[in-house]
Amino acid sequence: MKGLAPLFLGIFGTFAFSWIGLTVIPTWQMGDLNPESDEEGTDIYPRPQSGMFDRGEHVYAANGCVYCHTQQVRADYIADDIERKWGNRRSTPRDYIFDRPVFLGKMRMGQDLANIGARAPTPEESPSASGGASPAGAPATQAAAGSPSPGPSVAATGPPGTQATSAAQASSPPAGAAESPAASPSKLASLHTSPAPPGQRTGVASPSPGQMANTTPGGSSPVAPSAQTPGAPWPIQTAGFPPMYSAAWHHVHLYAPRSINLDSNMPAYRFLYEKRRIAGERSADALQLSGSDMPPEGWEVVPSYDAKCLVAYLIGLNQFHGLKEARSLGGAPPTGGAPAPAVQGASPPPPPGAAK
Amino acid sequence: MNTTEIPLKDPSVSAAASDTEQLERAYIDASTRVPVLMFYTSAIAWLIVGTVLAMVVSFKLHSPDLFGDISFLTWGRLRPAHMNTMVYGWASMAGMGTAVWLMARLCRTTLRFPLLLAAGAAFWNLGVLIGVGAILLGDSTGFQWLEFPRYVAVILFVAYTLMASWAVLMFRHRRGDQIYITQWYLLGAFLWFPWLYAAGQLMLFVVPVQGVLQSAVTWWYANNLLFLWFGAIALGTAYYMIPKVIGRPVYSYHLATIGFWTYALFSSWTGMTRLIDGPFPAWMITASIAATILTMIPVATVGLNHHLTMQGYFPLLRYSPTLRFTVFGAMSYTVFSVIGVLISFRSVASYVNFSQVSIAYTHLGLYAFFTMTIFGSMYYIVPRLVGREWRYGSLIKLHFWASAYGIGLMTLMLLAGGFLQGSNLENPALPFSESIETVLPYLRGRSLAGILLTVSHFIFAYHFGLMLLGLGRTSTVPTFLNPVEAETSGGH
Repeated sequence: MKGLAPLFLGIFGTFAFSWIGLTVIPTWQMGDLNPESDEEGTDIYPRPQSGMFDRGEHVYAANGCVYCHTQQVRADYIADDIERKWGNRRSTPRDYIFDRPVFLGKMRMGQDLANIGARAPTPEESPSASGGASPAGAPATQAAAGSPSPGPSVAATGPPGTQATSAAQASSPPAGAAESPAASPSKLASLHTSPAPPGQRTGVASPSPGQMANTTPGGSSPVAPSAQTPGAPWPIQTAGFPPMYSAAWHHVHLYAPRSINLDSNMPAYRFLYEKRRIAGERSADALQLSGSDMPPEGWEVVPSYDAKCLVAYLIGLNQFHGLKEARSLGGAPPTGGAPAPAVQGASPPPPPGAAK
Repeated sequence: MNTTEIPLKDPSVSAAASDTEQLERAYIDASTRVPVLMFYTSAIAWLIVGTVLAMVVSFKLHSPDLFGDISFLTWGRLRPAHMNTMVYGWASMAGMGTAVWLMARLCRTTLRFPLLLAAGAAFWNLGVLIGVGAILLGDSTGFQWLEFPRYVAVILFVAYTLMASWAVLMFRHRRGDQIYITQWYLLGAFLWFPWLYAAGQLMLFVVPVQGVLQSAVTWWYANNLLFLWFGAIALGTAYYMIPKVIGRPVYSYHLATIGFWTYALFSSWTGMTRLIDGPFPAWMITASIAATILTMIPVATVGLNHHLTMQGYFPLLRYSPTLRFTVFGAMSYTVFSVIGVLISFRSVASYVNFSQVSIAYTHLGLYAFFTMTIFGSMYYIVPRLVGREWRYGSLIKLHFWASAYGIGLMTLMLLAGGFLQGSNLENPALPFSESIETVLPYLRGRSLAGILLTVSHFIFAYHFGLMLLGLGRTSTVPTFLNPVEAETSGGH
């Protein structure tokens, strides 16, 4: 090859071709998406998230969660993500318009988290969604009674986005739902059309297929060990823990993943928590730990602000809202708050070790 | 093929080279001594750091409670720290060292402005150091391959500008108007990298694109860094080293031309294969899949060219360390690309997309292809800089086999484990945790491979240290891997 000019032109040309083709044109095509809303312009999705959510996003980035967790649900005709209850529709570009950075991810050493917040019980079921464990008092009874929580609630400190919105919208039903715990299972069944055969729902510990999040398994026995339920995307946790995927559960899971699932190979994020001597009364957000993870007598483990933000972020991850461009399948968005109190009522008392 | 077009001369040990040319080359080599050794020394230091990080990352993946309670030793920080140390510390610096030396030789001019390069290398080291520290302290940006925070990007960019301006100045002072194949690749790499890096930074941080486009930019950047920066340097190096060592011109110049332009055209479009089935318009992903399939054209032409150049000279692999490492790298380029095509088919990708297979793919590219080629070039270049020959043929041999078996075992483990992991993941009858249980034994096997690689890197660093301290052999004959019989003594 002689002469530099053709070489330079070629080098720049090939590169410009790819740059324009794969980044500039897509930006023209879909670089300015807007949230979708209904005709009245009320039901807007997605919405920008709270400060805690944003900070949690950075904690997520800093600690490299993205290297093991994806946040994308693939279409039902491609993969079995939806069958695994990781979502009720495929993810679309619009779901991510407020995400910075965006964590689509490239590895599933852990579950997909695109809808981890949708699996969380609504605040009525878990009175201290933004903090840690329940405030002083018997958490289970409190939750079962559906009484308004004296502790911090998601609506107060959590993201004002979908989750908080749902919290606010759902603030009326708890009374009715709590009134008739016995009626709830049928309600649950009608609400969530189950794609899984009923035969897979073995035992009382089985989560509802449409919405396993709201279950506290091991309702029959507080000492039930970690049990694997066929069809459940995740082994059922050991009894005595907060409702699955609730904020308190996330804290315990982040602090001691193997206390909830023996087979988990998630690292423990203990540096996000503080072990301290109980001064006066036990903190409202102290973790409900068990076994060897329990702090010694007179000590407690409380989440740092970063840990709270991270959990607020996880709780805020929710793509259940319908979008015109993606067909929703299966389970309805678990924002009703109706089914859970019934299950909550069956939730076991805290293990003796976790007593204040 | 017109052999007179090839500006390559016979190997320096051959009697065919005239005394003047030998002297000229010695002068050029001497002028590159300080900057190239600076690049190499830094690179090998980063290689050791990155290897230690890699070991911890690999062990922690199957033993998550190892060093669990310390924030900067959490897996999610160590992994990007390892990645960035290897990509920006080891691979980029080693590649630039080799590229600088090749540039000086091929421009047939002594290295001018060594201060520009030395300052560039110093700044680059500073940038990587701060960047890796920032990641460990929790200041990662969260964009894969671009985890260094913005202030580090600025430092790296200053460093790079110093080095790029050197390359341009060198090119202006070159002698003869022939531009050899290696120079196309190197010039391409030197120009592509800053554009890539700037485009990535600009679209992610300065004028951030919306939503999923951030992922598109990230993977466009990552694949182009792999192909247009590392791949281009490694291919350019192979095009120099193979003919040089065996003392025979490249088989076909025309094949090389086709290979270069198709490589530049197609490999730069492959990034979206990492996002198959993701929330993107289908055309973006389809274009990347098509481009990936088309990369078989440069693979075939480059591979054929190297093969036909080597034909009849394969026995030399028994003796020459440079040739053995370089040919291993060149062959790995083919393997890397073929696997890249296989895992980019939609039907395959839906299984392996989120499994360890993508880790295998990246390591095939960055290690088996790039790093092995660069090791080869270092075995060639370092003796010419320090004026001594490598001290122990046995250590080189050990380095080669530990590296080759290490990366081979690692690739096999990650590919096999990843395929099983992926197929279990796509089987809704199995619980999710089953896919993790399946891959864990393979990850332990990967740790074993990691031990081999660690051994090989420590051996190499030790050997390099001896050379740096002037403890190499004083000899006119290069160090061979095996004792040379009389009839093959021409090669190195």
